[in-house]
Amino acid sequence: MSLTTTDRARSAPAGAGNRPRPAGRRRFTARTALVLFAFMVPALVFVGMFTYYPLLSGIQMAFRNYNLNDLSDTSWVGLDNFRALLDDEMFRGTVKNSVVWVVGSLVPQFLIGFTMAMWLRRRFRFRGVYQALVFFPWAVSGFLIGILFRWMFNGEFGVVNDLLMKSHLIDTPVPWLADARYAMFSVIVANVWYGVTFFAIMILAALQGVPEELYESAAIDGAGKVRTLFSITIPSIRTTLALTVLLRVIWIFNSPELIFGMTGGGPANETHIVTSHMIQVTQEGDYGRASAMGVMVVFVLMLFAVFYLLAIRPRKGLA
Amino acid sequence: MIRSETLAGRIVKFGGLGLCLLVTVFPLYWILVTSFKDPGTIFAYPLRYWPETWSLENYRGLFDQSNFGVFIGNSLIVSTVAAALATVVSLLSAYVLARFEFVSKGAVMGAFLVTQMIPGFIALGSLYILMTRLYLVDNRWGLVLVYVAMSIPLCTVMLRGFFENVPASLEEAAMVDGCSRLSALFRVLVPVMTPGIAASYIFNFVNCWNELFLSVTLLNSDSNKTIPAALNGFISSYNIDWGSMSAAAALSIVPTMILFAVASRYIVEGLTAGAVKE
Amino acid sequence: MPHRPRTMFAPLAAAATAAALLLSACGPGPAEKAQDGQVTLQMVESLTNPTRTTLLKKLIADFEAKNSGVKVQLISPPTNQADQKIQQMLQSGKGVDVLEVRDTTVGPFSTNKWIYDMAPDLKGWDGLQALTPNALKVAQEGGKSYMVPYGFYGLSLFYRKDLVQQAGYSGPPKSWTEMIEQAKKINNPSKNVYGYSFRGGLGAGGNAIAIISGYVIDEINRDNAFKLTNGKTIFSSPKAVDALNQYVDLFKNASPPSSVSWGYPEMVQGFTSGTTGFLLQDPEVIATVKQSKTIKEDQWGTAPLPVGPTGKAAQPLANAGWGVAQGSEHKKEAVELVKFLTSGDAAMTFSKENSLVPILKSAAEDPFFKDGPWASYVAMNESPDTYIVVTQPRGVPWSTEWGNKSDSDVQKLITGKAQPAEILKNWDEYWTKKWAGN
Repeated sequence: MSLTTTDRARSAPAGAGNRPRPAGRRRFTARTALVLFAFMVPALVFVGMFTYYPLLSGIQMAFRNYNLNDLSDTSWVGLDNFRALLDDEMFRGTVKNSVVWVVGSLVPQFLIGFTMAMWLRRRFRFRGVYQALVFFPWAVSGFLIGILFRWMFNGEFGVVNDLLMKSHLIDTPVPWLADARYAMFSVIVANVWYGVTFFAIMILAALQGVPEELYESAAIDGAGKVRTLFSITIPSIRTTLALTVLLRVIWIFNSPELIFGMTGGGPANETHIVTSHMIQVTQEGDYGRASAMGVMVVFVLMLFAVFYLLAIRPRKGLA
Repeated sequence: MIRSETLAGRIVKFGGLGLCLLVTVFPLYWILVTSFKDPGTIFAYPLRYWPETWSLENYRGLFDQSNFGVFIGNSLIVSTVAAALATVVSLLSAYVLARFEFVSKGAVMGAFLVTQMIPGFIALGSLYILMTRLYLVDNRWGLVLVYVAMSIPLCTVMLRGFFENVPASLEEAAMVDGCSRLSALFRVLVPVMTPGIAASYIFNFVNCWNELFLSVTLLNSDSNKTIPAALNGFISSYNIDWGSMSAAAALSIVPTMILFAVASRYIVEGLTAGAVKE
Repeated sequence: MPHRPRTMFAPLAAAATAAALLLSACGPGPAEKAQDGQVTLQMVESLTNPTRTTLLKKLIADFEAKNSGVKVQLISPPTNQADQKIQQMLQSGKGVDVLEVRDTTVGPFSTNKWIYDMAPDLKGWDGLQALTPNALKVAQEGGKSYMVPYGFYGLSLFYRKDLVQQAGYSGPPKSWTEMIEQAKKINNPSKNVYGYSFRGGLGAGGNAIAIISGYVIDEINRDNAFKLTNGKTIFSSPKAVDALNQYVDLFKNASPPSSVSWGYPEMVQGFTSGTTGFLLQDPEVIATVKQSKTIKEDQWGTAPLPVGPTGKAAQPLANAGWGVAQGSEHKKEAVELVKFLTSGDAAMTFSKENSLVPILKSAAEDPFFKDGPWASYVAMNESPDTYIVVTQPRGVPWSTEWGNKSDSDVQKLITGKAQPAEILKNWDEYWTKKWAGN
């Protein structure tokens, strides 16, 4: 059974335009409509009840004076929480850090993931075993990764310094998590380590769908490696690349656990991103302000997604 | 086939892959080695890359002092069931979203995408109150429900891609033969989509398996605890119990590793199709 | 196409079964079920650690044996999420009867009327007479009994006997100045040995306050140790600048560079791994250091908290205890459990095995608290005019916010991003503004 699918997927490469068209783009009867509605109901009920309902009741706190340390006055305060945030120098710092964090994590993840996928494209002995091994970071939770890397990057008894000193790359231990110059670098290294796998899987998966004939005709045309990469490989998997990047941006922005476990935002808030700061504010009890931050995060990410999707749409049509 | 790989190219390729493997696996190696060190020698300096003596003390402590076996069981039950339920529910919704055009389709897709953008922390408090009202606090099945809701959006988007790879003529033929739409879906489409479904299932499973905050919030008693909550429990304000923590972490990775090993082919094939479409 | 409805409905059947299980799980939870008058108390701890949880379970079993008809279910969330979980439980008004209340949470919890005033229930309880004056004061703060403390956390100086001797000193330092001098001598980065386990990460602010308090001790307001007797904040004193200058010196010249990010685990680990010579910590650490196999019993000891320039130190006794939730439907039994845990053998066992400054007067006669690492606590207790017990404003609603703020400010200070005077001016303004009600 699985063979059939594989064959079909191969014969219908991404962007080639000859994939089976979604069939039902036509009118349907009231009875069919009812059946389809029934199909949608479970998903909508689950997401509505356990995701959107708590979210919406959480959001209203953003417009109230809602501090768990003193709930005697939870009156509505309009946009005060948002204004206070925009005036807060620390919050502005976390916004800047978030951008560094997202870009700094995304670019290496993408490049390394892409290269790995290219290398893994052809079958070789033990490729399966290799894949299973390199996929492992994905199987560990971000918080645990943070704690583990905090230990490994420890200046005095961490294994990273020990290895670097043994290989004579450094002479004295580097205070990775203590020095503002290295702290962000260190958390990003951990995050790159954590996220490369996902890119590698997605891109490798997409590469499997690019038909070999395309490469062959490029070779006949005498195209070099670089030209093949840019004129065949990348255009063929552009949709996957674009969507993977979008999902990653959202996830990286929204994954404070690693930072929280590794540096707690320090030193001197140098590694605090918006969402890790939000955990901190929640623990301080100021749910009003934390919710305001959450609302801003959702808003900014939505804007980003809309613009991003608009930006990649026309090219999709060209293919 | 083009055979353009030169020797130098191969050296670069396998050298690079080897380096990636080394860097990726080292932390895993470090967890493993630590877990087998005698608890007293974990912080010994200079560092030891190979334990002086192999000790099972950390593992023994794990099962003697806490109910780690119970935690593993809980995590397995919760993740297995939640991932399965989410996959079934998402199959239905993904089918509709893949095959038909309707007015609110864009809104539904948008609403699903937005769930990925929500920092979970906003909703935690309200969710706790909701679950209290439903008498589902400290109840593993309650956590399952929440995990299902958490998994559906992405799972739906993934499965939708797989559906688009399967021609509609397949289920139409079945329906002409007298199948209902539901039976056509499960009898004709599902078998064809096995790789995609397996990939989605694994994806859900891993996400549930690693989830920490919801689990800590919604479960109380030791008999219900899941692994991430238990792992976090080794961090007290004064100490991180690295011995027990490494042993627990090593054990907690095993089920996901087995899943990967069995299904790494499915993951690659499965994710392809899902990701290509949007 | 052959019809085989059973196979096709298998996944649906599975889903339906799961749904049925879910439904059966609805209805009254196990906690509310009253069988033959059996009461189940839900008890939740906050400063969770595995050893302590085991100990608590043992004590609870004793309680259950003495009170037939009462069962206690202990909830042990991971400590870094515990207070948040406790807040959620209290806010929902359900699912918790007895809880661990800390000096940092008693204020907010009582303001929100989440915890119950046990004063009427404790009236006439002979357990009150057995408490030390400090403990009694906490148990009756402001005429209300929102919690009965189970122990105190007070700082003392853990030091390495061998390193101090090798550096040419006959004994541990008495004052901050002496300690900094000794720490500098011990400091030898090339051998991976450092003078002081500096606290730069989580909790950094608290240790900075310790040295500041020691410097302004002669003018400190003992009931609100962030205030001077003249009503201004302790941060407004010029002596506070001296204190922070010394503190930066201690970091720069006698501490591991990476201790900027050290929190409790790293500080303690630094000491127990033999990397650092001095550690300023709570007695809870005694048990941890004893377990270390890297430093032997005769290699370390404890000394009283270092004193300031005028020969005195401020000992801010932090505390935590047990309280009862306002929403509890079994307050009578819950109060009994609190009484049980804070009196007699249970209280003594708890402070011994958990290494806490005890709450019972009778502990003064107990040999356990007289020798070894505990001797410094006895010494501090015996000279109340040198080691002055003060109360810090730990229960204010902004206490967690202050904790985070002061931590990151200390990091700015030691990484050279801000000067002592700047930080102190900022702290002075912060507290003045907060106390003014804004």
